[in-house]
Amino acid sequence: MQNSHRKEHLYKILVIGDLGVGKTSIIKRYVHHNFSPNYRATIGVDFALKVLNWDQETVRLQLWDIAGQERFGNMTRVYYREAMGAFIVFDVTRPASFEAITKWKEDLDAKLTLANGKNVATVLLANKCDQGRDVLTNNGIKMEQFCQENGFVGWFETSAKENINIDEAANCLVKHIIASEKDMLQSEVSDTISPQLEKNGGGTCSSCFRSHHVLHP
Amino acid sequence: MLPPRGGAASTRDPRRTPQEYETESSRGGPGSPPSPRQNVRKNLAFEPLSTTALILEDRPANLPAKPAEEAQKHRQQYEEMVAQAKKKELKEAQKRRKQQEQRCKLEESIGTAVQIWNQDILPNWTTLCTSRRVRDLWWQGVPPSVRGKVWSLAVGNELNITHGTVENPSLWSELYNICLARAKEKWKSLPTPTSNTEPEDVGSSDRESSLELIKLDISRTFPHLCIFQQGGPYHDVLHSVLGAYTCYRPDVGYVQGMSFIAAVLILNLETADAFIAFSNLLNKPCQMAFFRVDHSLMLTYFAAFEVFFEENLPKLFAHFKKNNLTPDIYLIDWIFTLYSKSLPLDLACRVWDVFCRDGEEFLFRTALGLLHLYREALQCMDFIQMAQLLTRLPDLVPGDRLFQHIAAVHMTGRAGKWPQVLQTLQRDQERSSPVLKR
Repeated sequence: MQNSHRKEHLYKILVIGDLGVGKTSIIKRYVHHNFSPNYRATIGVDFALKVLNWDQETVRLQLWDIAGQERFGNMTRVYYREAMGAFIVFDVTRPASFEAITKWKEDLDAKLTLANGKNVATVLLANKCDQGRDVLTNNGIKMEQFCQENGFVGWFETSAKENINIDEAANCLVKHIIASEKDMLQSEVSDTISPQLEKNGGGTCSSCFRSHHVLHP
Repeated sequence: MLPPRGGAASTRDPRRTPQEYETESSRGGPGSPPSPRQNVRKNLAFEPLSTTALILEDRPANLPAKPAEEAQKHRQQYEEMVAQAKKKELKEAQKRRKQQEQRCKLEESIGTAVQIWNQDILPNWTTLCTSRRVRDLWWQGVPPSVRGKVWSLAVGNELNITHGTVENPSLWSELYNICLARAKEKWKSLPTPTSNTEPEDVGSSDRESSLELIKLDISRTFPHLCIFQQGGPYHDVLHSVLGAYTCYRPDVGYVQGMSFIAAVLILNLETADAFIAFSNLLNKPCQMAFFRVDHSLMLTYFAAFEVFFEENLPKLFAHFKKNNLTPDIYLIDWIFTLYSKSLPLDLACRVWDVFCRDGEEFLFRTALGLLHLYREALQCMDFIQMAQLLTRLPDLVPGDRLFQHIAAVHMTGRAGKWPQVLQTLQRDQERSSPVLKR
């Protein structure tokens, strides 16, 4: 992660959320471009690697698919270490999985901070949006507000099954990771020049807040 | 020798030679003068039937005829092809015969083993189960038809869960019925979407109740077998065994991984026996440590594993250390599901056989066997590659080779045998696996 002169970035990304919300399916869709209704439950942690071309640079995403049962919490929290970003997933058909979101987020922020003390970029995924809409996510303004209040850099209604918004969500997360990395490098040591990413990617990204139904209050 | 089915000539009459068809379909029709290929036809009359799939067709009528020389060449090529096909067929027949013989031999040996287990060993279980002869036979794998019985006996029933009688083995366990009835009551009273979101102490109680988690996990248990999913023949059985367990042991509840263990037992035992074996199996110290997610005890197990890892595979151990690949990353899945999720099911059952014989130690020995089996590949991999390989083992883990590698693992080291090492580490909690230090 530190070798900024080489045009390659490796980011560890966590995928967390309640049991059965579709974390593995989202990763399979994103990395292997397929979907099966028959994934086995994840025990512990599974891994996937996604390589992206990003502005003439290579971005490797190391995806950590972490088992959702709360009981595993104590042992899976060690996997948060050194992550640069996270997806927190809920299932739009199960309100309880949405109510758990704040807990996942608080837990993440409590156990993981970047070198500059900031929280890692986190995108909220409202998965299984193909299975009928839910009151929660139908209300774009509320979700927007929810994200801002809870420190999410963006949210997306996704469907691993129908391949909706998965790539978009990942791009949003990567953009914010790169921005926060740049931010960190700049604030780190002022006499080292980091010849990295002169592209527009600074600070906040309002477009990411805007998923497909944007309603600015 | 059987003619191949569904070939080009499968709808044709195999008794007729290719040329007969050819003649009929050629421009001249049945009345045309005899073709110059008479000699070819004669030879072909003795070819094996299946080669009738190879047919030398005339050129379609709307194209100019081939020059004689070319036609001759093609005939020759055709004959060569036929000869080759015949040779291949012979070879395949031989191979089939050999496979058949091997299968017969295997079936015979399984048959003998079944007899030995049923007539010799099982009736004299308590005296024979520790004998050298039985232990050796056990290592080879228990035949599927006696597997359930052997597992039940080996796991035992320390919990004294009431059991069906010998005269009426299908009689369901009383306790099982009581627990199941209780689970069913709870299922009925479950509101469809629950929103009890107040549990403050993370880790002791789950947000969603055990009974609900079971529902989510059942269809994700051996999905490829299509028998535990909604509508499948064992869906309700798996549901019942897990539900009954959470009512029997509310202190443990449902923990992911259990569905796989219960499923394997259901595949090998009657429902009530599966429940008894399940409850007793989970009551073993190692399983209790893991399913109660007793973190410090789990770390002790991982540390003990690392002691034997370092002794057996020092080079690979150093490589893992260098890459920060801690044992929890791959062991959690293996231990929680007793390998039933990560190994092919028949191989997992073989691991269970010896696990029933040797206890928890064998789970860690199997892990070392797997690392031993893949050590060369692992040695050249980076963190993510290793993690991916170990958390998703190849679909075809070679069973016999794995057991050879497991056999090569030494479970007596400088610090003693597994139980001693574990005990020492348990007593000396400060000494910890690298997991604790991070």
